[in-house]
This record gives sequence, structure tokens and C-alpha cells, in this order.
Amino acid sequence: MTATEGFKRHGDHSYVATFADSEKEVLLNLCEQIIELLAERQDHGHDDPLAAMVGITSHDSPPEDEVLHRLLPNAYADQVDASEFRRYTEATLRQKKQAHAISMRIHLKSSDDGTVDLDHDNANAWLGAINDIRLALGVRLKVENHSHEELELLAPDDPLRGVYAVYTWLGWLQETLLSALIDDADEDEESQLGNS
Amino acid sequence: MVKTADKIEEEIRAIFSGDTPWVTIVWDDPVNLQTYVVYVFMELFGYSKAKATELMLQVHNEGKAIVSTGSREEMEHDVARLHEYGLWATLQRGDQL
Repeated sequence: MTATEGFKRHGDHSYVATFADSEKEVLLNLCEQIIELLAERQDHGHDDPLAAMVGITSHDSPPEDEVLHRLLPNAYADQVDASEFRRYTEATLRQKKQAHAISMRIHLKSSDDGTVDLDHDNANAWLGAINDIRLALGVRLKVENHSHEELELLAPDDPLRGVYAVYTWLGWLQETLLSALIDDADEDEESQLGNS
Repeated sequence: MVKTADKIEEEIRAIFSGDTPWVTIVWDDPVNLQTYVVYVFMELFGYSKAKATELMLQVHNEGKAIVSTGSREEMEHDVARLHEYGLWATLQRGDQL
């Protein structure tokens, strides 16, 4: 099967892409990894079950893992406020991010021929999941410190070269979905202006 | 303790003054695509493409931009939604910028 041409708009609010088997496998694999990464922290065994049910956790410090820290950042510069906010919101944020990746996984798994057809909400979940995967890969690639030119010049036997290839491919895939979505949003905006 | 007492006093003053002095700030990030940032601003805040693009460029060129203002609770909600979509956002009092 040929490589995907990315997402295209099909009619109103429908976004379609067809993936080759190998592409589908890569995407599924990345979904699994991000879902696992976002699973609840194992470093707190003594949560009050009632508090846990309503999404309050006992941990209030940012994750030590650099990737998780980027996915679940502090909401305040002030450490006391940041800790308090995290205690009440981190579990929910993990669940929402996981839900995006799970939605993406379901679409891929339930597609026999590699074609996925997304509505607006599905498309947002895919965008969020692809973005989280890119953020995770970006931390490992140290995108903050390396220019794209430097990353392009990685040695062929450097394992990060493959990671960078996936990172840029995901960026391109995300861009195709975004341009389809923004086309739609533009038309909605114009029709609203027309009606007013 | 003194610090906490001061904070409470501040908080109470804000409540009675009827001010809405909190802001949500989005910080520049080398990973997020420009188009994605524009789309998230349109989607979460209902901004026009022009306004969303202007804010994205401000984040890109100046390192940060205020994307919304309102009560502390409203800004906490905005920050949580921005985090859900992977943007790097914080909130703070507008008078302490």
C-alpha cells in the first residue's frame, strides 16, 4: 500500500485519511506508549479512595520524568499555588489526554483498510494526541537545544534519526488535518458574517 | 504565616473591589506548530482566525502572550483546557505582570 497523503476534507466536517499498514502500526504503537505513560503515578499508594474518585490526589509535586513534566506542566509560577492546583487537576488532565489517544487508537484499530473518517470532535482528539506524542518525542530529541538543521544531520546509525523522522512526519500529518479543519472554520466564519 | 495572611487579605480585597485581575499566559514552545496554536486559540476561545494568528505571532516573537483575562476560576479553567491540548500555559494576577 502506498504512503498516506494525509487528511483531506470530505464534505462538511468530515476528515479522511488512509494509512499504509506500516504507518498504522507506527501510529498504534505511539498511542499505546502515550496511554501507558499517562497512566496514574505509581509513587503514591495511600490515596484516600473517596478523594481519588473525585480526582483529588495526594501528590502535588510535578512529575520527575521530563516527558511527563512537559505533558503535565505547572499552572502557576508560584510553587504553593502550582502544587495546590496540581492536586485537584492532574488526575483529570491525565484522563483527558489518555482519552484523546484512546480515541485515536480505536479509529485505527477499527479500520480494516487503513482509512479513518473523523468528525470534528474526533479530529480534535487526534490533534491533541498527535501533539502529545510530538511533545514527548521533542523532549527526547531536545528540540529546545537543537536546531532543525542539526537534527537533519544526525548520523544514519543514530537511533534519534529515526525518532526525528517520526517527529517530522507527525508534524506534517497534523498540518494536513489542521488545514482541513481551518478551511471549514473559515467557511463557517464567512457564512456567519453573511447571515449577520 | 504572615505571607498566607497577606494573601488572604489580597484575595478578599480583590473579591470586594469587583476586579477581575487574573490573566492566562501562553509561553513559546519549539514543538507546537504555529497552525496548531492558531487552531487551539480559535477552538477554545472562539477567536477569529485573524485574532488567533495575532496572538500566536506574539507568543512566537515575544516569548509569551496574554490570551484571556477574567476571574481566577475562569483562568484556571482556561489553563486546564490549554494543557489538555498541550500548550504551555500559566495563570497569574494581572497586576503582578
